[in-house]
Amino acid sequence: MKRRSFLATTAAAAVGTQVLGGVPLKAFTPMNMPVPMQPDDDRVLIVVQLFGGNDGLNTIIPVDDPNYYAIRPTIAVPKEKAISVLSRVYMHPALAPKDQYGFPQMFEDGRLAVVQGIGYENPNLSHFRSTDIWLSGFNSSDPEVRLLDGWLGRYWSKHLPGFPEQLPPDPIAVQIGGSLSMLLQSPKGDIGIALSDPQKFFELGQGLSPDMTPMSDETRYGREFNFVRTVAEQCDKYSSVVKNSFDKGKNVATYGEGGFIQQMKLVARLISGGLKSKIFLVYMGGFDTHVQQQDEYQNGLHPYLLGQLASGIGSFMQDALSQGFADRVVGMTVSEFGRRPYENGSRGTDHGAASAQFVFGNGVRAGVYGQSPDLTNFDGNGDVRYQWDYRRVYADVLENWFGGSPQETEDVLQDRVLPLGVLQRATSVDDAYEGRVEVNIRVSPNPSAEHVSVEWYQPVNGVTTVEIYGTDGRYVKTLLTDRLAPGTHRVSADGLQSGSYLCAVMINGRRSVAPLTVVR
Amino acid sequence: MKRRDLFRSIARTSVRADAPLDQPLQVIGGIEEYTQPLTLDDVLHLFRRLSYGITMPAAKAYVGKTARQVVTELLGPNDPGDPKLAVGFIKWRDPVSGQMVDYTENPEGADLQAAFAIRSWWGTNHAQLSRWIMYESLRDTMAIERIANFWTSHWTTEFAFDDQFSQPHTLYNQYLMLRKDRLGNFRTMALDMTLDHGMLFYLGGWLNEAGRPNENYARELLELFTTGIGWYTEGDIQQAARVLTGWKVARFNDQPAPKGIYNSWFDAKKHDTGAKEFMGVTIPARTADNNTEFQVRNEEVRELIDIIFRARPDAVARFIAGKVYMHFVYSSAGEVDKEFVGDLAKAFKEADFDLRTLFLKAFTSAHFFDPAVRGVQIKTPFEYVVGILKLLRFEDAEAAKFDPPQWTILMDQKIYDAPNVAGWPGYRSWITTNTYPRRREFARKIIDAMTDDRALQLIKEMPDYEDVTKFVASMVQYMLPVPVNETRLAYYKSTLLEGQPDYTWAEKIKQPASAARSLRALLKAIAVAPDFQLC
Repeated sequence: MKRRSFLATTAAAAVGTQVLGGVPLKAFTPMNMPVPMQPDDDRVLIVVQLFGGNDGLNTIIPVDDPNYYAIRPTIAVPKEKAISVLSRVYMHPALAPKDQYGFPQMFEDGRLAVVQGIGYENPNLSHFRSTDIWLSGFNSSDPEVRLLDGWLGRYWSKHLPGFPEQLPPDPIAVQIGGSLSMLLQSPKGDIGIALSDPQKFFELGQGLSPDMTPMSDETRYGREFNFVRTVAEQCDKYSSVVKNSFDKGKNVATYGEGGFIQQMKLVARLISGGLKSKIFLVYMGGFDTHVQQQDEYQNGLHPYLLGQLASGIGSFMQDALSQGFADRVVGMTVSEFGRRPYENGSRGTDHGAASAQFVFGNGVRAGVYGQSPDLTNFDGNGDVRYQWDYRRVYADVLENWFGGSPQETEDVLQDRVLPLGVLQRATSVDDAYEGRVEVNIRVSPNPSAEHVSVEWYQPVNGVTTVEIYGTDGRYVKTLLTDRLAPGTHRVSADGLQSGSYLCAVMINGRRSVAPLTVVR
Repeated sequence: MKRRDLFRSIARTSVRADAPLDQPLQVIGGIEEYTQPLTLDDVLHLFRRLSYGITMPAAKAYVGKTARQVVTELLGPNDPGDPKLAVGFIKWRDPVSGQMVDYTENPEGADLQAAFAIRSWWGTNHAQLSRWIMYESLRDTMAIERIANFWTSHWTTEFAFDDQFSQPHTLYNQYLMLRKDRLGNFRTMALDMTLDHGMLFYLGGWLNEAGRPNENYARELLELFTTGIGWYTEGDIQQAARVLTGWKVARFNDQPAPKGIYNSWFDAKKHDTGAKEFMGVTIPARTADNNTEFQVRNEEVRELIDIIFRARPDAVARFIAGKVYMHFVYSSAGEVDKEFVGDLAKAFKEADFDLRTLFLKAFTSAHFFDPAVRGVQIKTPFEYVVGILKLLRFEDAEAAKFDPPQWTILMDQKIYDAPNVAGWPGYRSWITTNTYPRRREFARKIIDAMTDDRALQLIKEMPDYEDVTKFVASMVQYMLPVPVNETRLAYYKSTLLEGQPDYTWAEKIKQPASAARSLRALLKAIAVAPDFQLC
């Protein structure tokens, strides 16, 4: 695996030399630099980070599994208290705050997807490492492998020629509060800004540009100098941009009290005011529910947090619908892990593994992805096994939401990962010109015992790749890479071990997927 | 041949920050001792990193000494003695009833108003504690508080977490303990912290009982405090949690306090007396007769710590050496010098985990004085705030007008209140569009608040201050970590002189008001530069 972006480069440093750069611009005539273009589509991603490890089993309730009630004698949600949604899924009652647009309604309206069993192979039970794994998009528990930047940071820093010396007119990402997350860091610097109070930011940020040229990146000192310089530029440049959007924007929905809800309110107002940021990152802590997570009436810390989550997202969606920007916003929750299936002695749960994830917005293909967790088949630590590699939803975001190519997904994640299909694909006007077409794949026989053939008709000529993935979304093998003429093509998929797979046919960068099962 | 030897053979042997070279350089300095007499740049560099800065006259007095002499003096004795200042926790008077609030009263169960008063009182005390740590650091001319503060960032204990509060008195006690342990044996520190009242409360050790273990502290002891991640199994954590059962805190007057309020104690009934198997070593079961505080402390808790150090000596040495490296030398996780940290860890392990050896080795090494690692650290908010106050010679009484701990909060660092048990993420996370404007604002306020007399004093402390060119160079040397180019120096000089010719400087320095105005302009111009955030 290539780890270009977090491999340490040997630094060449020349502190004693007369460094070029770092020159006050006031000493010269100011330069006019071209600015990078703002990305031209208007799609927005909201990342909702739930720090501490959200208890998936007490979020989406497996009411029909007696094992659930056996292993959680004091904190299980009784079936009659859980909220049944379209008979598909039972939710914790806290996800339906009274008189608000809650998760059950959003699900019924086709604006919410529930991804069961999101996680990764060899789960790491450290908050910090697992958070880094989630935010970086690199699944490595090897302490020697330093995870230094985020999957969104890497993706967008590549999309901005001239970054960070030249900044786009609007910040690519806005994090509400806190120190800037790894998610938004890139090898070239931060792609976003941290924002608490737009008014204060405006008052303090004006005129903070140091008016100095960048230094050479050859030395460590030069790199740190340039990092600070870029943040100073971002303050100066974005403080008025953010203020403008804040002043122009409005909220028409009613929002409740609470830090997270207010963060969502601010995000809605900035989008409403025309801020062209692609990513907003909001944060809620407190999910590390070792002690007293819930009492016998389904009250307590965890229900409180779920209520805040549903209320904040619900109000935001109402705002988005009323103001007409709901079609161009999707959001996803990320949490470093779920909890141990067995409750501990303190009415709480310890660190676990796979969990449930929410994806929301009009662009979502609503539904439940995956099965209810198997509570009879745990991993070596006694934790829920994962069904989907967590990066499958990232691949959705990159390819289906931001319109990136599978190759870009691979570059960002340094691994081939198949999108889960939870987001509707952005169709680009270029698709037809570039011959990016979707095809129907026929796998026969399916399931198969010995010989399997994969067949499809492609109307265009182009570079075609046929790949096999595991159902968790991780790459298994490539069957074919070739430039093919229009027509029907067939390739053999023999030699796979027994199991379920996904077969992906990619033509000119557009992917189609079909299931494939081998039984021997 | 090691990588470094290769470079050493092709680079000149003596590389000095004040001797410009024509080409960029690799880090060539390793663990070997830096034996040359220290230059002024060396002294300033050392004090920026291992202390909170130094005044120009004090720095000049160290020039010509060796790194070993100066670092030995900076580290001070293992027991630093009493703090210079008294923390002076005040008591809280209830604004409504006018009664003094008993701070050991349990707010849970108390009426709402009393509970509110008690929690407010903790908030007040936390602010006092923060000011105390800050002024103590401002007064310190050695590395005592600097290193103690480093250890508080390692053994994170939060003041406010979830909906709980660590009582500031217990944090104060913890600080004094870390201050005493800061240069001793790391095992001692690990044992002391494991049974520390503040830590027992913060990481739930007090809830960890036989039959209902709480793994919280056991996990962090390994992951964050000793070996680092990857050197233990989940089973080791579960077993360590069992070893650590039975330790209790005494927070309130309605709770048992056999050792007195705010002192931890041992509840034999809650200790798991069964045998434990930790990192391949058996800690035997015990009978009720020998289930005493003394025995469990020595035969189980101390043994647990000892097993970690016996079974994973390289991991511990490397983890702690790496922590010191990232905190004091270069914080970029991707660019930790593995060879140097490995050598440092080796020395640390060979000294049987003696921390004085670790610090002495690190700060007298050629690596630490290498030009390639100068000016590469981003100042933490605490370093930045205390650093500016020290740079401009503010005493604590004067500094108090600005309530400096409030400023570090605006810069995302609340003293003794990291965001989570992993501590502050540090490095570039310190500088964001939220915090950077606050840094600039603070510098501006302090520069504006500098009196004319103080400004004149500062000017006269610079060598050859009457020569304006040399004065500007000295001031830049004093304020910024790395020499700047001629263009910048010329720009700073013209800022100081407001564009007038050099000879006007002689006139200016005769009039305090005029000199002060010019100096403020110069200081502000320097504080605007990105490298003012670096050290």
